Amino acid sequence: MSGRLLIVGAGMAAAYLLQELAKRPHRLQVTVVGEEAEACYNRVLLSNVLSGENSETDLDMLATAPASDDGNVAAAPRIITGRRITHIDSKLGVATTDDGERLAYDALVFATGANVARPPVDCTGVGGVREFRTVADTRELRALEATGRSAVVVGGGLLGLEAAHGLNALGFHTRVLHRNPVIMNRQLDAEGGRQLQRDLEERGLHFKLGAQIAALDTDTEGHIRGIQLDDGSSLACDLLLFATGITPNIALAQASGLATERGILVDEHLRCSEPGIYALGECSQFGDTCFGLVAPIREQAAVLAAQLGGESPAPFRLQDYPTQLKISGVEIYRAGELDDASEQILVHGSGVYRRLVIRNDRLIGAVLVGDKRGGTWYSDLISQGRDISSIRSSLAFGREESASQSAAVAA
Amino acid sequence: MQRNSNTTCPYCGVGCGVTAQLEDDKVIAVSGDKKHPANFGRLCVKGTALAETLGDEGRLLYPQLQGRRVDWDQALGTLASRIRQAQAEHGPDSVAFYLSGQLLTEDYYVANKLVKGYLNTANVDTNSRLCMSSAVAAHKRAFGEDIVPCTYEDVEACELLVMVGSNAAWTHPVVYQRVEAAKRAGQRKRIVVIDPRRTASCDSADLHLQLRPGSDGHLFCGLLKFLADNGALDEGFIARHTEGWEAALEACAGLGISEVAAATGLAEEDLRRFYQWFTDTPRTVTMFSQGVKQSATGTDKCNAIINCHLATGRIGHPGAGPFSITGQPNAMGGREVGGLANQLAAHMDFTAEDVDRVQRFWGATGMASQPGMKAVELFDAAAEGRIKVLWIMATNPAVSLPDSARVRRALERCDFVVVSDCTAQTDTADFADLLLPAAPWGEKEGTVTNSERVISRQRQLVEAMGEARPDWWIVTELAHKLGLAEYFPYRSAADVFREHAALSGYENQGRRAFDISALAQLSDVDYAALAPRRWPLPAGGSRGELFSDGHFFTPSGRARIVRVEPELPTAQGKLLVNTGRLRDQWHTMTRTGRVPRLSQHRDFFSIALNPADAASAGFGEGDLVQLENPQGRVRGIANLDAGIAPGQSFVPIHWSGQFSAEARASGLIPALTDPHSGQPQSKFAGARLMPVTANCWGLLFSRRQYRPGELDYWSRIAVTGGYLTLLADGAASEAVYAELQAQLREAALDFATYEDSAKGDFREIGHREGRLEYALFLNPERAVLPERGWMSALGAESPEPGTVHNYLAGFSPDREDSGRLVCSCWEVGEAQIGRAIADGADSVETLGKALRCGTQCGSCIPELRELLARARDEQAA
Repeated sequence: MSGRLLIVGAGMAAAYLLQELAKRPHRLQVTVVGEEAEACYNRVLLSNVLSGENSETDLDMLATAPASDDGNVAAAPRIITGRRITHIDSKLGVATTDDGERLAYDALVFATGANVARPPVDCTGVGGVREFRTVADTRELRALEATGRSAVVVGGGLLGLEAAHGLNALGFHTRVLHRNPVIMNRQLDAEGGRQLQRDLEERGLHFKLGAQIAALDTDTEGHIRGIQLDDGSSLACDLLLFATGITPNIALAQASGLATERGILVDEHLRCSEPGIYALGECSQFGDTCFGLVAPIREQAAVLAAQLGGESPAPFRLQDYPTQLKISGVEIYRAGELDDASEQILVHGSGVYRRLVIRNDRLIGAVLVGDKRGGTWYSDLISQGRDISSIRSSLAFGREESASQSAAVAA
Repeated sequence: MQRNSNTTCPYCGVGCGVTAQLEDDKVIAVSGDKKHPANFGRLCVKGTALAETLGDEGRLLYPQLQGRRVDWDQALGTLASRIRQAQAEHGPDSVAFYLSGQLLTEDYYVANKLVKGYLNTANVDTNSRLCMSSAVAAHKRAFGEDIVPCTYEDVEACELLVMVGSNAAWTHPVVYQRVEAAKRAGQRKRIVVIDPRRTASCDSADLHLQLRPGSDGHLFCGLLKFLADNGALDEGFIARHTEGWEAALEACAGLGISEVAAATGLAEEDLRRFYQWFTDTPRTVTMFSQGVKQSATGTDKCNAIINCHLATGRIGHPGAGPFSITGQPNAMGGREVGGLANQLAAHMDFTAEDVDRVQRFWGATGMASQPGMKAVELFDAAAEGRIKVLWIMATNPAVSLPDSARVRRALERCDFVVVSDCTAQTDTADFADLLLPAAPWGEKEGTVTNSERVISRQRQLVEAMGEARPDWWIVTELAHKLGLAEYFPYRSAADVFREHAALSGYENQGRRAFDISALAQLSDVDYAALAPRRWPLPAGGSRGELFSDGHFFTPSGRARIVRVEPELPTAQGKLLVNTGRLRDQWHTMTRTGRVPRLSQHRDFFSIALNPADAASAGFGEGDLVQLENPQGRVRGIANLDAGIAPGQSFVPIHWSGQFSAEARASGLIPALTDPHSGQPQSKFAGARLMPVTANCWGLLFSRRQYRPGELDYWSRIAVTGGYLTLLADGAASEAVYAELQAQLREAALDFATYEDSAKGDFREIGHREGRLEYALFLNPERAVLPERGWMSALGAESPEPGTVHNYLAGFSPDREDSGRLVCSCWEVGEAQIGRAIADGADSVETLGKALRCGTQCGSCIPELRELLARARDEQAA
């Protein structure tokens, strides 16, 4: 396939798509438009940059893309940063940037990502209230005076915990506020969440669970002093960081007349409701599912790149995407179904929680906290539906495997 | 600083000399004394492990009155007043002492003297009653005195060795090794083993007669007739030196080969072979042990054996004689001082003349004039409330006496039970009102006499721990509290020994063979250095080998050939119960139970059964089974052994409530005793066999000793750094887990648990500061539990933080399994041996070269041979 490909958004989804395209012979002229000053960086690593465990140079995703070789005569993609697409004319196949440049395309890909989903509290004009989404956010947070200051991170999911870990590493007295009584309640079960909480508490994090933010307290200069909670209590803080989950960024797609629900609806070939328009990543919705983890987005990128390259790829399918948390020394892993408690193997105590859910002699779910060894093996067992009765008594102490290769991390 | 000290092993009746190696006043190793005539440097695994038994673990260190620590003054003051009070209110016979073949001669002497000379009662008996009193009674009937006429040299020199009711390979290993060595050296020697079980001692036997239990009397009465019918008699000896011949022979008239075959269940051909060998071999020793003595007709059985030697004149010559080998280290010494209730002292009895003589020697103020109660009678009297004060020294009757349920009732009923022991917790100590800490082996001085009449010193190696004191001191102090100080002036064991030696020679003039008056003037220095000496040792010099001149110690000077009419024992219940010792354990395990390597050859309490019986009852190897009869019951792991005859079983005697649930062998034994000796029939009972449903099996490693509640089965052994308990119960593992968790969990411990409720699989690790405190594994299937070797090694593990839960797996992939322990000395397991055989080892010697197994005590050699043979069979197949 030849022609002009326009990718709207320059986040990780766009980066993966470029990586996948670079693996294939194609003649596409690719243009990427991103709002941030930096494009195609590894957002997953931002918490490590925040904590100081990685540097910004570790974030570059295009340097790791294989160089073009034989058969790939396409020019290097044009990457436009600090710009936004404001209008799309899908009939004409032309997109317009916020500075008026018109970009004609033969195919367009929405990779607009997501925004932080904030609770409905008015923070207008209040200093010290931040988000943690971009490399710019990260730089600003790192520039703050941390010693002797306290931070509240709103949201006890993957992103919130990683952000809190980063702030804690910077020197903030850091407390995580989470609506559910159990942290990471969407990924872990209750006991797994409690075990993770103990692990994190041992590393110096503090928690306020089962409460929501109701209002802000500010000082006379309009800077945050603390927050009021819906249970009547309050927390003092010098920094309030929202990490409450994400909302797919669909405004442009909606304005362009594409079918959307929570996200931009796509089919198994990542096609939107208009021909020649595709979407992938956090902005997309496949069936009922929106995406926040890296693994499915990489798969989307592979499917889409193959298609754009003129192949007839296997359709995109939902799989089980294991969860991991990358806070050094804190190990969690989750895969499969955890809701069924009727038959399970439970290893618990002394810093470890491992729960393997079993049905009809098959492993259907696994949650590992404190020691995630064997995680990918469990994922394989779950997806293969293998009969585990002959290895059941040692299943919980599974094979030692590198868990980092195929597992997904928070995007 | 290093030094060596020679002393005597405290275990079996062989009485081996041992050399203790001391460093900075601690015993660091024990090896065989190369000069001691019993062993000449050999030593079995139990003796070799002696240094490992000396820690303070489980020791009784202070006197305790009603559970409260008191000082010696108060302890013995209280005891003295309880004795006076009981005797004043209930008569002299309301007080009794129950002693032990574990005591040293000096201890025994003082206790015996106090009771029989000053308390107006002869209620002093000993656990030797359970061990060899039928031999004593038979010796007295035959020889007029309790004389063992053989030595270990005779056992080596004989050309026919008949072992009756003796598994010497396990119970008297060094004597057995001397026999084997002599046979290997090419000496003409046949060995016949007579035992209802095929034991390790059959390994070197030319003939094993697996006779019906209790039919030994028929076998030897039949032999007497055969000898008479086949011209093997020594008519001259019979005529000159014996009496009773005709009557004895007449009683055997009905016991031709076919009748004996019918009674014993043996093939006529085998019988004829044995009888012919006996007929043809003047140099014959018949070594007999608990298998014939522990019988309601034990005395007759012993005499039936002795009769055959008297009728052939095979006694008093090198390589010939009837040889009773005793179980305990100082059963013989106890007999010499008169520690049995029907003896007085120094081989004197309760004749008016003897009573008078001993009374004059002692200057006794409260002389007993007639025999006291024998062990079983004595505890019966206690159960009936007639014994008010009972002092038990160095023994554990709650486990060892027959009909344990009745013994426990007796201990409950008795007003004031005193237990002097070196171990704080025993089944008997549970009943004690007063606990007295006795100094154990290595912490006290004295002498012992072994099975071949050799008196050897036990020497003090280290300071006594806590407030432990030698038993002779304890009794002496009590005598002082009773106002008898002038009669008990002893300041040392040597003082006591000189008096004992003097009494043996007192007004003796050759009338009593037991005469060691040559030692009555030993100085303290001589006593300290005393080398092993065989009695008689009369002051005037030896009168030659006993019986070599045909002189016996009966009034007529003739030996008595005793008329024996053999009887078969009867029992109710389909299955016959036999009991006995294992190779690496001693008595109720209070000492050996603490040594990990002694608990590996045979680990958890099991019951040996014939495979066919198991098949018809519907269970297999390793299943939980129960033996039950009106006396009681035991529950154990089924150990299928083709060496056990169909319809029989073997229950080891060692387990007590400290080490296992329902595992007291004597709980099955009715209190049936021999009319002459009072020895209980401990090796014969009937019982019903049934499998026990175990819905939960478990293995527990623990630092502390646990007695896990009311479980159907548990059995505990020592392992490095802790204990390993196998358990089983009819309840589901979830319920068992809840019960055990409540016992195991304590504050300041951290836990890791594994639960697979659907499979009943529960595991838990308790740990503290990098040290495993316990590891529990429960499962409905025993086979799923971790390998025992892995569990046994947990005590040495120090897990890194965050890795404790890995132990819940129940295995460590990188560790090689050595298998069930076969060689205890070098800790070589069955799996290792299997690998060595696969690698080309094809003999005991090559195995020894490869793994060192069998090269020290040698008691595993029969098993090595069996493993080699099995490997050959498998290869052939």
